[in-house]
Amino acid sequence: MYYHNQTNNDENLMYIYLPIAEQPIHSLVIVGVGSIIGFIMGLVGVGGGFLLTPIMMFLGIPPPVAVASVANQLVAPSVSGVLSHWKKGNVDFKMGTVLLLGGVIGSSIGVILFNFLDKIGQLDLVIKSSYVVFLSLIGSLMFTESLRLILRKRKGKISRGKLHQHNWLHGLPFKTRFRKSKLYISVLLPILIGVIVGVLAAIMGIGGGFIIVPAMIYLLGMPTSLVVGTSLFQIIFVAANTTILQASQNQTVDIILATLLLIGSVAGVQIGAKFTNILKGEHLRLILSTIIILVSLKILTELITIPSDLFSIVIGR
Amino acid sequence: MKLYLSIYILFFSISLSFNVKAQNQIVADLSQENVEISTDFLGAKILLFGAYDGRKGDDIIVVVTGPKGLVTIQKKEKVLGVWVNTKKVNYINAPKYLSISSNRDIDKILNQKTQKISEIGLNNLNIRIQPGKQIRSEKEWREALTRNMLKSKLWSLNENSISLNKNSLFRSYLSLPSNVTIGKFEVKILHYRNSKLISKETNTINVSKSGISAEIYNIAQNYSTLYGIFAVLLAVFIGWGTNLVFRKV
Repeated sequence: MYYHNQTNNDENLMYIYLPIAEQPIHSLVIVGVGSIIGFIMGLVGVGGGFLLTPIMMFLGIPPPVAVASVANQLVAPSVSGVLSHWKKGNVDFKMGTVLLLGGVIGSSIGVILFNFLDKIGQLDLVIKSSYVVFLSLIGSLMFTESLRLILRKRKGKISRGKLHQHNWLHGLPFKTRFRKSKLYISVLLPILIGVIVGVLAAIMGIGGGFIIVPAMIYLLGMPTSLVVGTSLFQIIFVAANTTILQASQNQTVDIILATLLLIGSVAGVQIGAKFTNILKGEHLRLILSTIIILVSLKILTELITIPSDLFSIVIGR
Repeated sequence: MKLYLSIYILFFSISLSFNVKAQNQIVADLSQENVEISTDFLGAKILLFGAYDGRKGDDIIVVVTGPKGLVTIQKKEKVLGVWVNTKKVNYINAPKYLSISSNRDIDKILNQKTQKISEIGLNNLNIRIQPGKQIRSEKEWREALTRNMLKSKLWSLNENSISLNKNSLFRSYLSLPSNVTIGKFEVKILHYRNSKLISKETNTINVSKSGISAEIYNIAQNYSTLYGIFAVLLAVFIGWGTNLVFRKV
């Protein structure tokens, strides 16, 4: 009669209170989102974080918690993915180690920068504009490349050129031989790529696969078969480093959110990986690049349209 | 449970009304004084009920104020075609929860001046800006604070939400949204007659985290590095585990 309490019907039971994000969320929605993202990851090898972080923010998770928890969840599908690729011999551990050295340095810088941007109230802007710049860049590159490949195959011409193009970047000092990748290039180049990707990974809440994979193909000239496994190998360490630093510096890692996401994503990755032999790589990349371009346009629109309220609040802890 | 509570409320109210009649004092109780945020927390609705020695035309206003602290307001401006946060104002003692309820429109109960003096109303609270900061259009910022807090459901104005019964009993529901902060919430129950405060009572609601949710929060705060390492190891373990499972499939 007078007594009123929150009714626990079946629908409400699916909600779980996130201890760090400090809000309830529907657990099946999170597991579902995780598995779709995992499926894309398994299929294409990239695309975990850059779709996941915006979706989490869209669901109302505060950006700092979204970025840190997505970094945490990325560890699991990356470990699982590397183990599968390792079995097929598709991981260049030497190249991966060099990349991750840069990645760990970069992600440490990234977390410090992240903290600073949050303090001056520009985090949201930097996250969004980085998404616009990198997504549109990578999206259009990937789009044209895969389209060209599809058209070329349709004509029936398969040109076999050199293993890879050499450019001036390969000629930097400290040249090292990467036997597995059949490369003899400067060690500075992969380290530098690792640092840049690490910074972006920490700020944008991504593994950096969608940046590092094209960089490995176009800048380093690595064989495509090794690219996905090797990038996943280095993402494990970049994501782990980001998680530990975000947890110790900002206390923004929500382990419940991350666990729900990764339960979905690890299963999705495995299922996605099984489909790679059925679906053609270039068609997948064409679809993914279209999604990437659309996401970047969506975020760009958010940045340039007049907000419904010019004022916003940040409630201190 | 419900039945017991109803009976309890009934007897409580009856005994209260005797007391109230004797002392002309408003008395009230809450269905819940401790709100625990556990893993199934979706917000809470608390019943506030009590008795007062009233006459026709008396009014009741209930003000619930949560913990006070820093709330920052940011303002966006167009810079090179992009909307960017360019200005900010820090309110240092803004309540992170505020609920004002009454039995009829507050403007009909109290005039503007009295509302201001007694700090009743969303825009009448004495909320201070960070010392030493000069701002031009204070009103605009203050309105932005109220508007955004209302939008987040942390602040609410519920006029006409208190029901009065035979000039002696009243009841009201207080809602705490799921994003509510932890701490002590002060519940002030005010009894007005002809715009004059004749009696008041104060209660407290304690909002705290409990269960696994509280444990995780505490560990994340106090052993943050270990927590981070554990989070990574858990992810590695699950990732490795699925690989084993799917290999056999």
